[in-house]
Amino acid sequence: MSAAAEDRSTNRDWAAIAQKVGTPFASVLLAILIGSLIMWISGYDPIAAYSALFQGSFGTPKAFGDTLLKSTPLILAGLGLAYGFRANLFNIGAEGQLFMGGLAAGWLGLVLAGQPWYVALPLLLLAAMLAGAAWAFIPAILKARIGAHEVITTMMFTYIARYLVSYLVIGPLKSPGQIPQTGLLPVEAQLPRIQSLFSDATLQAMPFLKMGRAHMGILVALVAAVIVWWVLKYTTLGYENRAVGYNPWAAETGGISVQWTTVKALCISGSLAGLAGAVEVMGVHHRLFDQFSSGFGFTGIAVALLAKNHPIAVIPAALLFGALSAGAGTMQLMADVPQKIILIVQALVIFFVAAEGIVTYFIKQRQKEATSNVG
Amino acid sequence: MLADIITPDLFASALRMATPLALAAIGGTICERSGVVNIALEGIMLCGAFAGVAVTLAVGNAWVGVLAAIAAGVAIAAIHAFTSINLRSDQVVSGTAINILALGLTGFLMEILYGHPGTTEAVETIKPIFRFASERGGGGFLAEVWHWVNTILFSHTPIVYMAIIIAIAMQWAMYNTRWGLHLRALGEHPRAVDTVGVSVLRGRWVAVLISGALAGLAGANLTLEQVGSFTENMTNGRGFIALAANIFGRWTPVGSYGASLLFGFADALQIKLQIFRGEINIPPQFFLMLPYILTVIVLAGVVGRSVGPAAVGKPYEKG
Repeated sequence: MSAAAEDRSTNRDWAAIAQKVGTPFASVLLAILIGSLIMWISGYDPIAAYSALFQGSFGTPKAFGDTLLKSTPLILAGLGLAYGFRANLFNIGAEGQLFMGGLAAGWLGLVLAGQPWYVALPLLLLAAMLAGAAWAFIPAILKARIGAHEVITTMMFTYIARYLVSYLVIGPLKSPGQIPQTGLLPVEAQLPRIQSLFSDATLQAMPFLKMGRAHMGILVALVAAVIVWWVLKYTTLGYENRAVGYNPWAAETGGISVQWTTVKALCISGSLAGLAGAVEVMGVHHRLFDQFSSGFGFTGIAVALLAKNHPIAVIPAALLFGALSAGAGTMQLMADVPQKIILIVQALVIFFVAAEGIVTYFIKQRQKEATSNVG
Repeated sequence: MLADIITPDLFASALRMATPLALAAIGGTICERSGVVNIALEGIMLCGAFAGVAVTLAVGNAWVGVLAAIAAGVAIAAIHAFTSINLRSDQVVSGTAINILALGLTGFLMEILYGHPGTTEAVETIKPIFRFASERGGGGFLAEVWHWVNTILFSHTPIVYMAIIIAIAMQWAMYNTRWGLHLRALGEHPRAVDTVGVSVLRGRWVAVLISGALAGLAGANLTLEQVGSFTENMTNGRGFIALAANIFGRWTPVGSYGASLLFGFADALQIKLQIFRGEINIPPQFFLMLPYILTVIVLAGVVGRSVGPAAVGKPYEKG
């Protein structure tokens, strides 16, 4: 290859990357701008709001720790959604699988009391993955066998999971006391806080490590992202997943079982969502109660879409939504803006990412105007 | 105990519970028949429910609230129409964004207007139209029959009857008018509609806006006729159950209404059973699961045999 041709091809690569990254960036920027507009119309100061938000999510090591804390389940839920989207499946009910994962971890952790951490931690995570996959299994079978839309079935299973967990923490799994919750997990079954891994002297020397409540679940999430990326890119499983998502008829003709791949895809998606529930229970609350997830499964949808279903890109996308969620409290406290604005910004991001046609739409409008002016 | 459960007001309650589902389901039917998937029904219903209460609280007249709910439904549906018809976004993704937007917007406005999250102040609900006297076990067989008929058919608020009329009128319009013919063709073969000189874009816009109006009305029924106040996320999956009802009703308005009656009955039954849970000894959460479990069972039972419009979910590009 000549130098010039090579130069041109790298240029083209850069253009492709810029285009891929450009839409998400523009979407976030637009969403934040419109969010400011809404705040301004409602009589709030958007600059004060966003600076409070930034302060609450990146301002101090502890604030950054909170961002990591919120991002951890979002990475895992986002990975689950992305894996499903790649097979053209919309696992809108990730929240339900997340609940079941949390349930599995919260229950098994108590059963395994007395086991060392290297036994308890892997078993809990595994159990949560199985529980999440099991919760996705019936919708998966219904989708594969008779085409029942997974958006409705997984959503219904989310409500069922919530009531089930609510029943269990009030009933059979309730620990003694007034509050409906399970007993505290033994220390061996908890994901340790990041700052607890360092000595006081190290923390004194490097204060940026004092990340408050951030826990080792982030490591689980990062490893999961790399594994999902590797599976999608280099394994037969991932290839079949992508082939079915891209064109099921071609995949079937090529000898891939679309039904079986659909079942596997939704169950793997569910297992990742289950893992998200487990890290939240094992790392943050150390016990199960019915409000342990603040809609991470649903925010995972926005994470996956913003990442354009790329497993590695899920990490920065989750950090963004994690930061929004971590800073929302500070924003309400300091700038008096209702936290719900975060949900509006999140919805706007989804709109803009999904509306890839928006640019061509406005170009066409412009052309129409131009031709009508000429005529 | 069975005589205490199977009472006239169980069936009356089924009809009430079915109403918001039916209105949303008919909206879903019209929307999907035109080729646009509308999973935003949940969020549109929520916005309608909120607008209804907010305007009623401000103006003091519940009927103005109903109009506001419909207007809010149409406005939110317009976003879905623009993104999925003009911008050709993925319709399921656009619907998801609207559902999240509805949660955020109603919660945000609630804190701005009333200074707190959770539940709004109560409004005076719209009263039933008829008020005929009848009582149970009053005397004689005829009196008993009259009591059943009166309770089941004549004890309802206006939107409950409106839903029945809308179901029948839409069914008729869909199969007997030009508009209905075009609507059905839009979802099966939009190119053909385009070829005979009817605008695909306009036809789909109208369908999405109608579904928004109906889902908004469903929200009004929920807050202004049933509950009397707005609570965050109070639609609680009804928009998704309505989609299932639409499928179970084979994409027809009357079918959607019938399927909604089934889900409404399940809801009425679970509420009734909760009263007797001391005797039955089953935790309330299992009753609350009932409508959702039924939805999955119904979908599992019928979906294979019930086929939707051919072009549903596919954006149309004039070419």
